[in-house]
Formats: sequence, structure tokens, C-alpha cells
Amino acid sequence: MTTETYSSNAVERSRLNNRLRAMVTQENLITLVVALIVAGAVIVPLVVLFVSSFKVLDPAGWDTTWGFGNYVTMFTDRIIPKAFVNTLIISSGSTILATFLGVSLAWINARTNCPGRSYLEPYNLIPFFLSPFVGAIAWHNLGEPQTGLLNNLAREVFGIEGAIINVDNIWGVIWVTGIFFAPLVYLFVVGSLRRMDPSLEDSARTTGAGLFRTTMTVTLPLVMPGILSGAIIVFVTSAGEFGVPFKLSAPYGWETLTTQIFSKAVGDDANHHMGAAMSMALGIITVFLIWVQQRYIAPRSFTTVTGKGFRPNVLDLGPWRWVAFGYNIFFIMVAVVLPIVCLIIVSLHPVWTGKIVLADITTINYVKTLMWWHPEAISAATNGIGNSLILAFGGASISMVLALVISYMIHRTKGFGVRMLDFLSMVPIGFPGIVLAMGVLVTYIQTPIYATLWILMLAYITRFFPYGQRNISSIMLAISEELDQSSRMAGASWFTTLRRITIPLLKPGLFAGWILLFIIFLRELSISIILFTTGTETLSVGVYYLTNFENEPLTSALSMAQTVMLLIAIYAFRRLAGREALTA
Amino acid sequence: MSTNNNVMVSIDHLYKSYGPEMAVKDFNIEIEQGEFVTLLGPSGCGKTTTLRCVAGLERPEAGEIRIGETTVVAPEKEIFLYPEHRNIGMVFQSYAVWPHMTVFDNVAYGLRVRRASSNEIKTKTMQTLELVGLDHLADRFATKLSGGQRQRVALARAICYQPEVILFDEPLSNLDAKLREQMRDEIVRLQKEVGITSIFVTHDQSEALVMSDRVVVMDKAVIQQVGDPQEIYANPANSFVANFIGVTSLLEGKLDGRDGDICSVDVSMGQGAEPLRLRAIGAEGATPGDTVNVSLRPEDVTLHLERPQGTDHGNLIEGNVIDTIYLGSFLEGRVRVGPHEIGIQIDHFENLVRDQTVYLSFQPEHSLCLAN
Amino acid sequence: MTMQEDTGAYLEVQNLVKYFGNDRAVDDISFAVPKGAFLTLLGPSGCGKTTTLMSVAGLHAIDGGRIRVGDVVYTSPSEGLFLPPEKRDIGMVFQSYAIWPHMTVAKNVAYPLEIRKVNQSEIDDRVAEVLALVGLTAEADKLATNLSGGQQQRASLARAIVSKPRLLLFDEPLSNLDLKLREQMRVELKRIQNEVGITSIYVTHDQSEALVMSDEIIVMSKGKIEQRGGPVEIYSRPVNEYVSNFIGVANLLKAKVRDSDGSGQGVVEVSQDGQTMTVPCQIGPGIGAGDDAVLSVRPENVHAVREGNGNDDVEGEVTHAIFLGNYVDCRVKWGDFEWKVIAHPRTRLKAGEKVFLQFDPEHTLAVQP
Repeated sequence: MTTETYSSNAVERSRLNNRLRAMVTQENLITLVVALIVAGAVIVPLVVLFVSSFKVLDPAGWDTTWGFGNYVTMFTDRIIPKAFVNTLIISSGSTILATFLGVSLAWINARTNCPGRSYLEPYNLIPFFLSPFVGAIAWHNLGEPQTGLLNNLAREVFGIEGAIINVDNIWGVIWVTGIFFAPLVYLFVVGSLRRMDPSLEDSARTTGAGLFRTTMTVTLPLVMPGILSGAIIVFVTSAGEFGVPFKLSAPYGWETLTTQIFSKAVGDDANHHMGAAMSMALGIITVFLIWVQQRYIAPRSFTTVTGKGFRPNVLDLGPWRWVAFGYNIFFIMVAVVLPIVCLIIVSLHPVWTGKIVLADITTINYVKTLMWWHPEAISAATNGIGNSLILAFGGASISMVLALVISYMIHRTKGFGVRMLDFLSMVPIGFPGIVLAMGVLVTYIQTPIYATLWILMLAYITRFFPYGQRNISSIMLAISEELDQSSRMAGASWFTTLRRITIPLLKPGLFAGWILLFIIFLRELSISIILFTTGTETLSVGVYYLTNFENEPLTSALSMAQTVMLLIAIYAFRRLAGREALTA
Repeated sequence: MSTNNNVMVSIDHLYKSYGPEMAVKDFNIEIEQGEFVTLLGPSGCGKTTTLRCVAGLERPEAGEIRIGETTVVAPEKEIFLYPEHRNIGMVFQSYAVWPHMTVFDNVAYGLRVRRASSNEIKTKTMQTLELVGLDHLADRFATKLSGGQRQRVALARAICYQPEVILFDEPLSNLDAKLREQMRDEIVRLQKEVGITSIFVTHDQSEALVMSDRVVVMDKAVIQQVGDPQEIYANPANSFVANFIGVTSLLEGKLDGRDGDICSVDVSMGQGAEPLRLRAIGAEGATPGDTVNVSLRPEDVTLHLERPQGTDHGNLIEGNVIDTIYLGSFLEGRVRVGPHEIGIQIDHFENLVRDQTVYLSFQPEHSLCLAN
Repeated sequence: MTMQEDTGAYLEVQNLVKYFGNDRAVDDISFAVPKGAFLTLLGPSGCGKTTTLMSVAGLHAIDGGRIRVGDVVYTSPSEGLFLPPEKRDIGMVFQSYAIWPHMTVAKNVAYPLEIRKVNQSEIDDRVAEVLALVGLTAEADKLATNLSGGQQQRASLARAIVSKPRLLLFDEPLSNLDLKLREQMRVELKRIQNEVGITSIYVTHDQSEALVMSDEIIVMSKGKIEQRGGPVEIYSRPVNEYVSNFIGVANLLKAKVRDSDGSGQGVVEVSQDGQTMTVPCQIGPGIGAGDDAVLSVRPENVHAVREGNGNDDVEGEVTHAIFLGNYVDCRVKWGDFEWKVIAHPRTRLKAGEKVFLQFDPEHTLAVQP
């Protein structure tokens, strides 16, 4: 046996060899290939979009020249600057409303003895999963000055003249967007509020601060990074939201960036290059804000969790707890119950005049929108159901496989390109769907996948796989690498370890992520609206199609069908993922 | 009103339960101005609940707590003061230093809520920071501090506004061993310097022994013994205290007889042909024939490898080595004597093998007989 | 005994080198462990002990050296040899227990046997036997997440030994447990290791664990071995200041060797704040008459008495006497130096008392600075 000592030269040489050998492993090759595919899917549309925005269409609409003309037009156009301002107003307004609602509801649920908290929480989160577009349709039918249900009720029951509310304006957009995005803020803060070390507050009390002062100087500042993150996400999501302004404000003269991009992408005066320029503007704002959130706000989060499991003591609100309870019920009423009840009522009438006419009640709207075999069926609606289910099943499955592979690479291998992968899977988060869809449109319009479901699937996955990836990553971070290593030590190979240890441990995350994506895909509107053609309508596109007829009962019926499907998926999500899955 | 003017905290007949489970049962104590009292016991014994009742973070079902001249809680009289109205300071296990404030702001918080003038806030806060040796870190954010420094901030925050009592809820248990000893000495020094009445909760007996003027040993919601550290260690009131404070061997036996202070106990428990008699002190109130426990500290047992000559060994018994643990500064071992195991502790290494015959001796006045 | 044991070594680590970036995490260390022995790698964090363990496990690729167990070479970069971890036949116990939460205790323990394609009835027998050994028979069908920390660690140990591997590796397995449990588990671990007789390497930064459990201890610092020896030797005859400071508590004073008889006995002179004393003591390796040295005396080997008996005594004042139950922790001031002294509680030493310190030459040591 050799007992020679190794000269330092030999050590150096073997070090170098090790390094070189370490560069070309299977792991690294696979990582590189996946990174390139993801880069292609994510980066190419954005680059093409960027390039396309510098092509200026001549007045005849035949030829293009290079230039900054599109960007100049954005400032000189009659409508676009106004749309810009409207978008800012709507985003700011909904951010303020959603933040107020989200923080107050989270505080009530996590830190006080408000009655029935654990029963209320799931309902507080429902709007997060439903379609804001459908919410806008429902609120239109509740708050339209002439035919709105609430206005009619006020006239008949209380004898009020005129209308008590009117949601067909910019304030209506803020109202609907605000209540539908409140759960986003809620989710950003409720976890840290609930897990907050109670002695942080106790010590303020024993130091001499009362309940109000403790809440204002200790509790809320501690969750401020979460509040700000939530607010920024709400701001950019509102700016990218298409359905709500399309339904409530655009028809009445309040255009937004998204409705303008839409009208440039489709329709008679379609100008993809102008649309691309506007998308660039919206995209840049979004990326800037998301960057601020990731770079400056998220890292400031305070670690306030304690290991010691003292009983989480909640604040005794005394009689005020009933006020809190009433406030929470009010939110659930306006965000969930009223819209759904309204949709049901409207959808059961042959024509909607603002009044409930029991004698007229009919199911014909459901027949027309759901029963594809029926002669009176509207194909845009029935196609939508089938297409959306295909997209949701297929898209969620492919996304989760991709997410699993990427998460594994990021967290379990030290291969080449891992950092790039990590970055790439951050890019689409929060990015407006309509902007990405413009990119995909201008990239693939000349290819065979245009006008097929594939282009929708591609755009869906590109935009939303990071959600699945984050779901898996958070679990992968929580499970120690030693769990894998001990399987290797027990004699199992890399693949056996993956099959018997890693994947079973990730199962809850995989399921939760899958259903979350299923829900998102089932209600997706702003990508579909740009990329659909006849035959590839989705559920939300079907709703949009019916909206254009201004046939509210038909619209409501299809909206209801979508809502019911979503509610079932939400129920499954909660059963599988449990309460903490979302807040992770 | 309290009869003794020096009493700072008095707790009378305190009861607190969680559902059907009694957490504190008939707790009574009077704590004098400037005294350092430790509540010691295993987890779930009710020590933390008692402290939180004093703080106002829990509401007791019955009893009365007074701080200074003020009754802060008395359910029967429907009195309950919120924590912020009690003029107390509290230090928590998790430090609970607010991460969104600087060290200075953390410590100044109590003065600010008391609306002290900005001049007073500045001088008092800096004085307190100097006291805990953190004045150079006043502007640093609490997140940038080490565990020991955070605990100093928590301590400074609790004493800065000169409350009447300071409450400690296991403040050292998150620190590592070296730091724990350092902070322990630091707290004692500060407490003596500031002269503030303190109630300290811990499950660590060495903390209790080192820091306290008086120790309250609790188990199963009930006070087991109150006394100064030496007294608790040397004269435990019952088997629980003897076992919980330090290491002790408890030898069950029957009381044979008594000669003055010294009683004689047969610990053979029916095994062996002859009785195994030990002489010990204590067992007041027990009569011959009663079952008693002889409590024996390892450090009071002398080990002999050969049967020692002479008679001045007090109790001398023969036994067989069970096992030993070498800890460097000590060699701990267990020796089987009849039906019992006796723990020993010697300060040098001795190569003892299993079943080796050894002889143990100890003085009767160093072993205590506890009636059951 | 197997044939290749020409050196009596079952595990042999030769000239191990491992870099992290440009840091030499392990710097050319060699050691050998006889079959069935329990070796502890002891040192502060960053001393290279865990890296050494991971190299033996195959979870790190090493940059130089050679690791052999029995007649199997695990790794030797210069020969281009690297056996992947699953081929090394090792049982490992991690700090985080690493018990798989989606399996029952019995399933966790059966896993290594299933991987080795042992038949089912034998698996059942082995699992039952090992669970009995670690005292988890009653918990066999519980999900691993329902176990306490101590129980999880027992399960993890059961899983590591069930396949009777060549080697057992421990990576700070007790540091997540609380003090009482830790003290209990270290005795328990040692008992089980003794019973199964698997050669073990144990990594810890806790010197008392090392003293209690090991047959042999390697004290490491900065990627190198400082001292290697049995627990008693390491504690009572540290070779240098680093080891005597790291293991246990010691009074360390700068000293000069005045006299050394070459066989380990001698006299050193200690000067402190104008006071001088000469102390007969043991002279450690590597120093001789006239050399600078460090006098190292354990607190329990300093005897504080109220009445001196000769001129060699050191007179000082008790500044601190903390009653800790089974001993009194004292500080005795002598010039600028504060002696740490452990006294028996029955001596009732009090702060402010004048005492004389006496040293037993047998337990007083001069070591390399």
C-alpha cells in the first residue's frame, strides 16, 4: 500500500483536474439546457417586443419604418396620455383601498379575539381566486344607475330618487379592483402577524404603552415591509388589469393603458407596433417597481418569529370585537356574496331590466352557454369551457414539471447557469399578462402555432410557472438537504433518492402548486384576450364575447359557470394545501 | 394594606387555571424592596404563569397581587390593571427587542410613553445604556446585535424608566453556555447596583442558586419550598426539591430509631440477610417504622478503593461500580449498594471497572432523612 | 481481523487536503482508527472537523490524500478514485436528525435494508431488533414527525446501524437537544455503539461530549490536528495552550522553565505583577530548561486553604465565591491574576477571605505557548 506523502504540486494538479471534471457533469449539462429553454421562452418575446416597438406603421397601414415615432405618439395622441393618467389614478386608488382592507382584515383575523375568525378567513381569501373581470360584471349589475340591483332596491324599498351608487366610472374600477386585490395584501401580512412573537407586543405593554400605541408603534411597523410589498404588487397588478376597466370604465370614456393596448392589438385599427410601444411603457414601470420591492423592501423583513411556542395570545377587543366582526362580514358581503347572488339572479332572467321578475325565471341562459350540443348554443362560450379545461389541466401539469426541475436545480445542484435560472424564474412574476401576450403575439404571429391553443399554453406557462416554482422552492428550502444525504448514506443512488425521498416530500407542494395554477389558468383573461382567435376562445374570452353583446343575463350565466368551477377548485386547494400553503 | 412597609410585591392566594388544568394553586409570597426572588421549577410547574399574572398578561381566577401600595389584580374585588398601568419592567426569553428601532429608541420607549421631556429621555437612556455597556451602540439597529447584546438592550429597556419591579421570564435560556454565565453575573451586578426588586423565572437550578436572595421551588402548580439557595440545597423540604436542585441519590428505607439529631434508617428494603443501616439527620416528625428517604449528595460521598482503616468515617458501605463518566474536572459514577444506586463525584480520574468492589463513606450530618 | 491491517488501522486517512475556494479547510491531516473504536473530532466551528467527516462520507470530493476503510479505497484523487457515498456502506447520523417525515419510524429504519434488497422477513427482524436496542419499539408505527427530538435522534441512529455498515459517522448529533437530554443521550449513544461495535467517527464542538464518549479524541484547529489522545490524556496532559484552553477551564500563566529533568518533571517560575513563584510541575513535550512556557492548572486542581503550610503557598484574596450546589466557583486574586478555583461547598469560602493556594505537582503542567 502506498504511504507516500503527496507533494503540494500533485495536490494542486489534482485540484485543477477536479475543477475541470466538475465542470462537465450531467447535472451541469441538464441545467444549461433547461436554462436556455426558459431563457428562450421568457427573454425572446420581450426582446422582439422591444424591437417591434421601434417600427412605425405608415398612415396607410402597409409599411413600417424604424424610429421613435410610437413613443412620440404616446405623448401626442388624443387618448393615450389620458389613459396613462387614468391608469395611475386607478392603481393608486386600488392600492390604497386594497392595503387598508387587507391590513385591517389580517390584523383582525390574526391578532384579535374577533368572533368566528377561523371561519371567516377562507372567505376573506376567496376574491383572490375569483376573476376580477367577473367581479366587475357583477358589480355593474349591482351598481349601474338605471338597471343596477342595489339602485333599484333603494328606489323601491326606500323610495329614493335616482341612483345611490354608480360604478360605471373610474371610482367603480378602483372599488372592484381594491376589494378583489385586498387578499393579496392580506396574504403578505397575515403570516407574519400570526407568527409574530407575542412578547414583542407584551414588552411594549409592560413598558407602559397601551393597546393603541402598541399596535401603532410596534405591531404595524414590524409588518411594514410586508405591507409595502403587498401594496407594490397590488399597484402593478392593478396597472396590468384589463377586465375591470374594460367593463366598467372604458365604455364610459375612461380608457386605461391596458384597454388601449388591447384596442391596438385587435380590432380594425390594430397597430401591433404601437401596442408594443405601450406595452414597453407598462412593462418598464412594472419591472422598476418589482425591482424596488425585491431589492429594497423584501430584504428588510424583520424576523419576528420565535421558537418558543407560547400560546398565541390575542388582543381582547372587548365589545369592539363585534364591530370587527361586522366589518369583516361587510367585506365578505361586498366581495363575495353580493356579486355571486347578483350573477345568479341576473343569469336566471331572459332579459335584465334591473328588477327581479319571478314569473320570468328561466334556465335558457345556461342552456345557451353550457350545452354545446344544443342548437341555440353559443360556440364562443361552449368552446371556452372546453379550451380552458384543456389549458388548465395541460398548462398546470407542464408548469409543475418545469417548476420541479428548476427548483431542484436551484436548490440541490451547484451547476452552471443556476443563478441565471433563478433570475429568469423571477422575471415573469408580477409582469402584466397583457404585455407578455403582446410579446408572444409579435414573436409567433408568423409561425404555425399562432391561432392554436399552443400559443396560449406557451404564454400561460411562461407567465405563471414561477408561481408553481415558488411553491416548490419554499418547501425545498424548508426540507433539509440532509434528508437527501442520509438516503445516499443509506446506500440509495441519486435517482432512487429522488423517487423515494425528494418527490414524496414535495408532494403537498406539487399538488398545491398544481391547483393554484389550474385556478389561475381557468380564469385567465389578459393573455387570452390578445392571443385568442375563433375556435381558441377561453372561458374568460367567452365572457368577454358575451359582454360585447351587452346581454347581461347570458354574460352572467357563463360568469357563474366559471365561478362555480373556481369555487370547486378553491375547495380542493384548501383541502390539499391547508391554511399555511398560501402564506408561504 | 401590607403590614410590612418594606414589602414591594405581595401575592395572596393566587389561583389560575387553563380549562380544567390548574396552573397555579394557592400561591403566596411577600417580596421585599430590592430582593431578588427566583421562581424555579420544571416546565409546566406554573412559574411562568405566576410571573405573567404579576405582569398583567394573564388574568388569575382568584387571589390578590399588590405592587407597592397598589392592588393590581384582585378578581374578587373586580380589580384588574392592564400591564401598562402597573409600573413594571419585563425581560422576555426571546429578548423581544424591536427590530425596527435603534437600540436607543428601544430603551427610550418606556420614557417616551411616560411623556418624559426630551432632555430627560436623552440623559436617562444614555445612562442606562452605559450601565449595560451598550452606549457605543446606541444608534445601531437591533437586528445588527448579537444575542447577548440584544438581551442587554431588553434589560436596559426594562429598567430605564425605573419601574418598581422587574420581571424576568427565562431570559438566559436562548444564550449559549458561556454567554449565559456572563449575562447571569451581569444581571446580578446590575440588580444590586440599581437595587430594583426582581422576580426571575427559570428552570435552571444553577441560575437560581447563583442569582437569588430567595428561591421559590414550584412543582405541579404548587410551591414546594421557599428559602435561600444554601438552605434549599442543603435542606430540601421533600424528595422533589432534593432531586430537582442538584444531583442527589434518594435511598428509600425504614426509620429504625433516633439518637438526638441523628436517626438510623434501614435501607436494605428486605434484601440481603442483614439490615443496611445508615445514620442521617432530619426526619423530624417521623416515627420508627415509617418509610423515609435518605438524601445524599454525590460530592459528600468519599470513595475508597480498599476498606479504610479507622472508625471516623461516619457511614461506611460496600458497593459495586455500575458505570462512570469522565468529565475532565470530575469523574461521575454510579455505585450499586444493595437495592440502591448511589451517585458519586470525584475530582480526579480513577480507572474504575464495572462491578469492581469499592467502599463509600459519608458523614451522618451530610445526609438528610426526608419523611414522605 | 482482516488481512490488510498491517498497521492495525481499519479506517485510514492519509494527507487529506480539502479546499473551499482558496481556503485550506483541511490541511494535510492523517489519522487511523482501529476497528470498533470511537474517535471524536473535536474543535471550534470552522476547524475542519465536519469537512473531514464529509470527506469520509463522500459528500465532499477531496483535493488530495487518500481515504481507505478495510480493503476498500474510498477516495484518492491522485489515483482517480472516488466512490460515491451510496457505495461506501456508511451509516450517518446528522445534526438535524434527517428523519424522513413522510415515513413511519419502522419504514425509516427499514429503508437501508430495502435498498440492499434484503428479504422482507429479515428486514422485519432486523428493524425490530434495532428499534429495541434504541428503545423505540413502542414508536415503530408512529410517523416520524410525531416524535420528540430525542426520539428522532434515536430513530436516526437506528437507521444508521440497521444495515451493519462498515463505518458510523456522527455530525454533531446532540447539539439540537436540550441540556438534560443531551447528557442522557451521550451515555446512551456510547452504550449502543459499544454494543454494535461499529467503528465510529464523531464530530462535535462540545468538549464534555468528547470526554464522555470517546476512546480517542483528535483536537483540531484551522484544518490541522493539535493533539490526539485518550480523554484522560487530552484533559490532564494537553500539549499546548490551545488545547488546555479549549478543553475544560484552565488557569494559564506565562512561565519560564527553570529546571527540567528530561523525563517530564521540572520547575517553572511564574512572575506576575512583581510577585514571583516557583512551581514544581510536569513539563510537557517540546519544551526544556530556559524555554518560555505556559503554566496550566485546572481550577479543581488548585486547593484553596485557610491555613498555609509552607513557603511555596500562594497567598491571595477571594473576590468571588459563587455557590453552585455541588461546588463553589471561586476567584482568588493574586497580583493582577485571578485564579479560578473550584472548592467543595462544605468549605464555605466567602468573598473577602484570605486564602492560600496549593498545587499538586502531579496535576500542574507546563505546556508550549
